[in-house]
Amino acid sequence: MKATLLLFCLVLLSKGAGIIHWLEHHLLTCPFKHLTGLDCPGCGVQRSILALLKGDLVASFKLYPATIPLIGLLAFSALHLKFELKNGAFFIKFLYIVVTLIIVSNYIYKIFTHQLI
Amino acid sequence: MSEEHSNPQENPQPAANPNPQNPFPPQNGGFGFGMQQSLPNATVVLILGILSIVTCCCYGVIGLILGIVALILSKKDKALYLANMAYYTESSYKNLSAGRVCAIIGLVLNILYLLLCIAFIAMFGIATLSDQDAMKEAIENMMK
Repeated sequence: MKATLLLFCLVLLSKGAGIIHWLEHHLLTCPFKHLTGLDCPGCGVQRSILALLKGDLVASFKLYPATIPLIGLLAFSALHLKFELKNGAFFIKFLYIVVTLIIVSNYIYKIFTHQLI
Repeated sequence: MSEEHSNPQENPQPAANPNPQNPFPPQNGGFGFGMQQSLPNATVVLILGILSIVTCCCYGVIGLILGIVALILSKKDKALYLANMAYYTESSYKNLSAGRVCAIIGLVLNILYLLLCIAFIAMFGIATLSDQDAMKEAIENMMK
């Protein structure tokens, strides 16, 4: 398990640029965007994760503000399920509500500033 | 009445008193000194509840399915926990209720998104939607 993780990190470090380049040219198209040309509530998350992989936190936040809390939520829930932290369930609930609020308010903000198209 | 009083005291006891040689008096049908199990679907409900918001892209259908499955599973497990509280761990019940809250929020969001998609198709029609220029025109007409 540790060896696999180490190998993964090594691959990511050595061929990092190659993987990011490959990911940049293989983004999945959002079906809603494909149909209407408008952004859906989840649009921007892939670009945001790519920006995060490059280490650009600000660009990641600008593209999709909920990415960093979302990754935090997933990581924390994995940790909680593995180690059974005290009050972990409460923090998962709290983080989840924060993430939802960020997603919804971001979408409403996008509607009112005409960034959807 | 006596059961309700005994339950909150009994739950922390296995953690505080890990010595199996010294069992406390069995009160709920002898379950007292047995190993407490975690609820069978608590982890699954938590994971499905979290995933129901991550997969909101795709017209909200995937998240809708995940949310409904999580809610049904959590309902079953909640009944199971309330039937015999001493038999299952409290932490797994907390996980279950957190997963349930997540599933409800995800479900509401996915339903809203699905309704939004349906409203878009009903307002503009698929022919306009799949044509970018016609879509822009329709929106500009709407803004006036």
